[in-house]
Amino acid sequence: MNHSAKRVRYVLKRLLQSIPVVIAILVVNFFLLHLAEGDAADVLAGEAGSATPEYMAQLRSKFGLDKPLPVQLAIYLKNVLSLDLGYSFRHDMPVAKLVFDRFIPTLLLMVSTILLAVGFGVVLGLLAASGLNTWRDNLISIFALITYATPLFWVGLMMIVVFSLKLHWFPTSGMENVAMFYEGWDRVKDIAHHLVMPTITLSLFYLALYTRLMRASMLEQAGMDYVVTARAKGLTERRIVFVHILRNALLPVVTMAGVQVGALIGGSVIVESVFAWPGLGMLAFEALFARDLNLLLGIFLLSALLVVAINLIVDIIYSFLDPRIEVS
Amino acid sequence: MSIKKWLSIASCTLFFSANMAIAQEAGGNLVYIVQPEPPSLAPYLSTSGPIGLVAPKIYQGLLDYDLELNIVPELAESYEISDDGLTVTFKLQQGVTWHDGKPFTSADVQFTIMEVLKKFHPRGPNSFKEVSEIQTPDDHTAIFKLDRPAPYMMRAFAGYESPIVPKHLLEGKDIREADLANNPVGTGPFKFVEWKKGQYIRLDKNEDYWKEGLPYLDRLVARVIPDASTRTAAMESGEVMYGAYGAIPNVDVVRLREMDSIGITTEGYSMINPMALLEFDTTKPPFDNPAIRNAISTALDRQFFIDNIWFGYGKTATSALSSNFAPTGLYKESPNYPGKPDIAAANKMLDDAGITANSDGVRLTATLDLIPYGEDWRRAGEYIKQAIGDIGIDLDLRYEDVPTWIKRVYGDYDFAMNLNYFYQLPDPVIGVHRHYGTDQIRKGTPFVNSSRYSDPELDALLVEGATSSDPEARVGIYHKIQDKLSADQPVVNLFELQFITVFNNKLKDHDFSAMGSYSSFDRTWLEK
Repeated sequence: MNHSAKRVRYVLKRLLQSIPVVIAILVVNFFLLHLAEGDAADVLAGEAGSATPEYMAQLRSKFGLDKPLPVQLAIYLKNVLSLDLGYSFRHDMPVAKLVFDRFIPTLLLMVSTILLAVGFGVVLGLLAASGLNTWRDNLISIFALITYATPLFWVGLMMIVVFSLKLHWFPTSGMENVAMFYEGWDRVKDIAHHLVMPTITLSLFYLALYTRLMRASMLEQAGMDYVVTARAKGLTERRIVFVHILRNALLPVVTMAGVQVGALIGGSVIVESVFAWPGLGMLAFEALFARDLNLLLGIFLLSALLVVAINLIVDIIYSFLDPRIEVS
Repeated sequence: MSIKKWLSIASCTLFFSANMAIAQEAGGNLVYIVQPEPPSLAPYLSTSGPIGLVAPKIYQGLLDYDLELNIVPELAESYEISDDGLTVTFKLQQGVTWHDGKPFTSADVQFTIMEVLKKFHPRGPNSFKEVSEIQTPDDHTAIFKLDRPAPYMMRAFAGYESPIVPKHLLEGKDIREADLANNPVGTGPFKFVEWKKGQYIRLDKNEDYWKEGLPYLDRLVARVIPDASTRTAAMESGEVMYGAYGAIPNVDVVRLREMDSIGITTEGYSMINPMALLEFDTTKPPFDNPAIRNAISTALDRQFFIDNIWFGYGKTATSALSSNFAPTGLYKESPNYPGKPDIAAANKMLDDAGITANSDGVRLTATLDLIPYGEDWRRAGEYIKQAIGDIGIDLDLRYEDVPTWIKRVYGDYDFAMNLNYFYQLPDPVIGVHRHYGTDQIRKGTPFVNSSRYSDPELDALLVEGATSSDPEARVGIYHKIQDKLSADQPVVNLFELQFITVFNNKLKDHDFSAMGSYSSFDRTWLEK
């Protein structure tokens, strides 16, 4: 069997394996969420100011909250299997539309953050490792330590104070200028302009992680036998670092990035909140307090799928980085 | 002689010509803060605060109220109350159309009150309890027939409290399910355009608005900004120009009010009258004993909350009614609301009631639940714990999330003492009765009588207060009600909250109505 056919088979197998995992995630989450006191009807009535017991009962029956839990679960799973994520009664909208609308800003923020964090992390780690124990190494290590130890919300607020209020370079918050409502390319530029500060803030934290990881990984690889061999062959230092060590040193970084994509959705709540970025994290956070369980389960399902997909992609990237790792 | 109120054209023109002197400028987009994001845009189903910040720009009421609480015309150009108080006749404005082009008529008023507000609005069943029928002899006359006089009803016609909704879009539908909730169509100065969840709600100018030359603004955008510090920064940078109901926290208001470009006001909340208070479970020991509740009221330093937690904004409670009711004569300063805390007196009350302390000086222990609406309330709880500790009442504090708290206090009655705040609204019948009446013990209904205080004498007074059409008689009735409540203290009122509106100084005429930020913004304009 040739290599690419093997790869396709592997992907299919992994996808099949992930189905029970995703269902298990949904079931566990379903019961966990139902452990919380109070329900969507309580919240809606509380916000409305007042409501009659008859109205509350009517709400519960409309939301399906009056049925026994296992029945609710069965109905939910049946709907999900037929690709219906249900209805958010709080937002009066189908969950799929709500989640999809918020998924795009999340994806924008996530992709730009990962690219920035991994890209700069790798470069900084490389610079630090190649100048081990020099001022360069020290400077980068201190920078990494400080960004890792600083709370995200504080970084975000300081960015706003410095770059929005003092220098007027960037808008404080939001995804686009809502006084003007630009269209076409102007809108793209406007959104990119709004994306800068949230991306930098969120990536600073991860950047530190990747820098440290890359540095350690580079140093570990530099002591390996194959490096000694390469040097004995008379290869230039440059070639040894970029062709031999770098490729091997990237493996742990890629693994880490894969694991963290899942965490990014949840971890971005603070950044989304500080910069009023309309992402999934905030949506999930609000849905929790509104006991909007359909919506929460929809978000969990999407994150679960995302993590499964990213892990698969990471495994495939492995096989490119290190041909000895076979997909099978 | 009948009480006749001809408001309409004469006074209206006067008002506008007087204002014209300042030369309003048309145009401009106003971005303002709405926080948290509203659950829907259906003011006819929910009185949720954030809905009030957006919906009254789209929907209007029959009347509005100026800053002195005088009634001014809105969709009704005039009204007339019969001598017996049982008939209220509204003359409606001519030439008003809905945003979809259909004409606005008395049938819309009839449908809104009888089929929507009276049935589905949280407060509508109370406000319009006495309305038995609405007659519509022609398109521009609506005659309300009442079973008993309902003077308080005349305070409930603002666009936020009782929005008039289009009959043709709701008739024959399930009112709670109708699509109108997310696609509002009103008669107001701004039309709904788009709602991007998590970001903004966009409203554009209604070019066919029935008030000539209004609105001045081209567009309103209500922005959602979850983080309080970011809201402050956006206000400072001019990205948003208006934030009400504590959108800018008091700690930042103290700083922003020093800036030249930013102004603040506490006006525009006189129809809301929020009161911070302590509720007790009056059905069980220990708080079934009025002496203990009175001792707590006596031991608390009400000014402390205002000075140290709310940055100087607020006014100590001196009665069960807000002092904002003073112009109507209903308010009366009452005993058991000392200006300064009196620990000795409070201790004596407890001693006299036979509540003795153990060897540690603790008379009783209880749990205080805190309203989960922000850090200020936690601080307030910590102060109460300390202050009440001085008279031997040992409190545990409990802070939960909103659904858990609502279920605990109003669903399960599983609490002893609860820190909360209530809107007293423009009339005690609408905002205060729900807290004390026996008929307001409604398990599972939030923000009603969770103390389960029940007193036949008070119930009789509440009915009298609601049905008396004589303002003089009402004064006497409400003074008796306050005496009764201050003797029994089923609820210990703490202080009148003052909400703060923060605005950019380029924004003019934003708080022209007693409804403040819950008004239509049709006269609001931006200086270039």
